[in-house]
Order: sequence, then C-alpha cells, then structure tokens
Amino acid sequence: MKVRTTFSYLLLASASFLSLFPLFWTISTSIKDRVDTYTLPPKFFNFSPTFKNYHSLFSMDKFWEIYWNSILITFGSTLICLVLGSLAAYAFARKPKFRGRGPLEGLMIAVRALPGIVLLLPIYKLSSYFGLYDSKIALILIYAGFNLPFAIWLLMSFFEQIPIEIEESARVDGASNFRMFTKIILPIAAPGLVATGIFVSLLSWNEFLIPVIMAGENAKTLPVLVASFISNRTLDWGPMAAAATVALVPIVLLTVVIQRWLVAGLSSGAVKE
Amino acid sequence: MVTKLSGPRATSKRSKGKNLRPVAHFTVPTWIFLFLTILIPFIYGIYISFLNINLASFLPASFIGFDNYLNVLRAPETWSTFQITLVITFFGLLVQIPLGIILALALHENLRGTKIFRSILITPMLLTPVAVGLTYRFMFDTDLGVVNWMLGLLNIEKVNWLGSQTSALFAIIIVDSWQSIPFVMLLVLAALTAISPSLYEAARVDGASSSQIFRNLTLPLITPTLLVITMIKIMDFLKLFDTLFILTRGGPGNATTTLGLWTYKTGFIFLELSRAAALGVIVAIISLPVYFLWRKASKGVR
Repeated sequence: MKVRTTFSYLLLASASFLSLFPLFWTISTSIKDRVDTYTLPPKFFNFSPTFKNYHSLFSMDKFWEIYWNSILITFGSTLICLVLGSLAAYAFARKPKFRGRGPLEGLMIAVRALPGIVLLLPIYKLSSYFGLYDSKIALILIYAGFNLPFAIWLLMSFFEQIPIEIEESARVDGASNFRMFTKIILPIAAPGLVATGIFVSLLSWNEFLIPVIMAGENAKTLPVLVASFISNRTLDWGPMAAAATVALVPIVLLTVVIQRWLVAGLSSGAVKE
Repeated sequence: MVTKLSGPRATSKRSKGKNLRPVAHFTVPTWIFLFLTILIPFIYGIYISFLNINLASFLPASFIGFDNYLNVLRAPETWSTFQITLVITFFGLLVQIPLGIILALALHENLRGTKIFRSILITPMLLTPVAVGLTYRFMFDTDLGVVNWMLGLLNIEKVNWLGSQTSALFAIIIVDSWQSIPFVMLLVLAALTAISPSLYEAARVDGASSSQIFRNLTLPLITPTLLVITMIKIMDFLKLFDTLFILTRGGPGNATTTLGLWTYKTGFIFLELSRAAALGVIVAIISLPVYFLWRKASKGVR
C-alpha cells in the first residue's frame, strides 16, 4: 500500500511538472532579454527580468485594438449564449419530451461533431456576399452559434439541480412561465450562469479557426495576432512569448475563479447526466 | 438578438395558469439562431460543392454536378491526408487513453493534495491552443529548444523535430496529448467516482489483487465512458487545426496535413472554394458514423 501511495505521488508530481513547465517557459521567455533567450544551456532562473518584450508588443501597431476586439467578441458571443442557452436549457431540463427536442439535440451534437472548417467555407462565402466579412458582429454571431450547444448542455446540468417544488409553489401564486423563469429560476441558477459564462468566454477567447478565416484587419483577434508571429521570417521568440502570455494569463486567472465548477464544465456535453 | 426574447414572453401568457410546464417554446430562439448560423451554412455548403467557385476567378459560378467529388476522390492528397489523420488519431488515442486512465486512478486514491494536483493537471486543456503551439514550437526548436537540450544531457543527438514527417507527427501528438490527456482524465475520474465503494470492498474481501480488481471490476465499469471518450477524440482529431497550423502548417510539404487542414488549404490557400466544400461534405460523411456512435454511447453512460 505504501509503495502504491509513493508511486501515485511521484506520478502526480511529475505530471504536474510537465503540465506547468510550458506555461512557466512561456512566461519566463517573455521577460528575458534577447541574449538570455538565445543561449544554451537555457536560463531557467539566472537572468535579470526585463519588460522590453511587452514594451515592443504593446507599442505594436493596432495591438490594443486587437485586444479590445477579442474582449468585445468574447463578451458579445457569451451574452448571446447565456440568453438563448438558459432559455433552451431550462426547457430541456424541465420537459423530458417535447416536439422538436430530438432534432434540436441532433443539431447541437452536429455542431460539436463537425469540423468548423466544414461550416466556415459556406459561412465565408455567404458573409462576403452579404458584406459581413471582417465584421465584428458577424464574428460574434458565428462564435455564439458554435458555442451555444456547449452552453445549453452545461446550463442544463445546473437547472436540473433546482428542485421542482420551488416552481410549483410559485405556479400556485399564478406566475407565468417566463416570469417564473426570470424571477425565480435564474437567480437560483446564478452561480451556474456565471460558470457557464466563463466557460463560453474561454472557448471564444481561444478560438482561432473562425477569426483566421472570417477576420481581416478590422476584426482581428488576439489568437490571430499571436499566430501571425510565426509567419515572419525571423522568429523573435521574446515578443512572441509576451503575446502568448498576454493571451494565457486571463485564462489562468479565470480558472482560479471557477475552480468549483471546473470539472462539471469541462466534461459537459460529453456525457449525459 | 435580444429582441428574440419577446417570443417566449408573448407566448407564455397563453399558457398562464396551466399546471403543465409548457416551456418547449423556450427553445424557439435557439432553433432560429442555430438555423441561421449552422443549418443554412451547412446546406449552402452542400450546394456550392456542386458549383465551380474559385475565389480568384471573376467568372460566374456554374453547376458542374459531381465533378468536384470525382476530382477530390481521384486526388492523391485526399487519401494521403486522410491516412495522416488516421495515424495521428490512432497514436494519439494510444497515448492519451492509457495515460488519462493512469492519472485518473492516481487522483481517485484521494491522497492529500489531490485537489491541487487536479487543478494543475487540468490547466493545459484550458489554454489557448495557438499560444500553446507557439510555446512548443520554441521548445522543439532544433538549436535553441529545451527539448533538444535535455536530450543532449542524455547524449542524444539534436533532432530537427518539425523537419521530417515522423518526428513532426510525433511532436504534434505530444502537443495534442498535453492538451487532451486532462480531458480523458476528468471523464474517467467521473466514471470512477460513480462506482460504488462497496463493490471494491466485496472484491477485496474475496481476496482479489489490485490488478485483478482493475481488470475485472474497474475496467468493465468504465468501458462505456472510454467509448464516449474515443468517439469525442476521433471527432477532435478530425477537427485538429490550431496547434497543427502553428507547429507545422501541415509541413514539411503536406507530410503532416490532416484532412481538415487539407480542406482549409484547398479553400483558402488554393482558393478552390467549391472543391473544398466537396471535401467538407466528405469530412462530414466520415464523421457521421462517429456522430451516431457517440449519441449511442453517451446514452450508455449513466
């Protein structure tokens, strides 16, 4: 038994090291001088930190505009997912069978199953036809469409935990469905809404395929900017690591906030509860 | 979009006072939204796969029947990229499922510090794939990368990781595994938690060894979950894009181009939009059985 415990600790510790090392390495590269980055053996701690890379990243043409685009698109699409998703999830959670449930679930699973490129080819063509190429609104709508099923599954698991008796007593008082939903259900499910919101934000924040196809200069998002570093002939790892860090740090912070719901959120939609 | 809220509000008045819970119409906004953003594009995608749209050409598109499909099926790239997708999927699963199970078992022992370990181990799956790809590209760098430096400490010669097909595929699988093992681990952990402890006690009373318990009790009970994971992972490998795009762009040549990336290249690099749409339809058809198996398998999980 003792051997097994030691082995488990060893395994978890080394896996944790491997999980964190790339993150550590990105952040440390981002605060290294050029000389300290391009050297062997690699410098893990023995360097003097500098913010030069951030300085050159932040002074980049359009950096702040791109950062703002990412925030705006993330926020907009998350809002749509929460509004539409909570309505649909509530119906799913409260009514096991209704007409159109099967097809809708099938459609949701199809969104999860299909590679984005399959939908983005026609979406690209359609939006350039309607003049929506490189538009932030179009990006918000597409992100929301792609993430809505995930939001519904996750919200559903929260709504299902609300005891039905609460609704029944409200119904006796003559509350309409929608009133009850907004005045009673949503406040109770608030933590679930927050958790879902954060998860959908993460998905949107990380999204790359949609903006790389649908965004030009006007609606460019952070992942596209981060990716554009590698197309330069001279690879400059410092600013590149700074850009990656700027993308990653908000995630790590949010993860700490949603620690409690992390497991439910990450496995949502994979398994029916 | 917010205006669509008026739908449910308006209709809910009618159902006021009924004891049923007629909330099915709450799904109407979602229906409309997915119809516009998913269903119409999908159908339109099938439609353009029968035209000859080239993004670089100004000629009006015309209907060419199944020509795109015939061309695509005749093109050797379609088959070679499909093969690469299969290789990545196969070896990816081979790495990720066993490691995910082992880590889940270690977490399931509920040792002190398990919660902290779990939070740390989950982190990779949340991180921006593009940024992760960049980090690994730096780590796999032939001259300056830490990976080759560490191998150097073991007296192993420098590897040009992203320069040849085998090593590049290896690198891609490592990076994807780094991001995906946590997912496998979490789902297996959930399945393990659902197993009643009394079953383990009974097995132990009967004198079963740890490996016997795993093989005859744990493994059969988590098999439905493993099936679900496998289906989801197959779909994710078909989707694989971000890290692949950053690490190798499908190169050298097309040596690490998957079917999904090939569809992207056909459409947006060679600008053959209609031909790419035909490839897209084929990709959708390939994922169809996985889609149905997933629906079926996920019903088997509690």
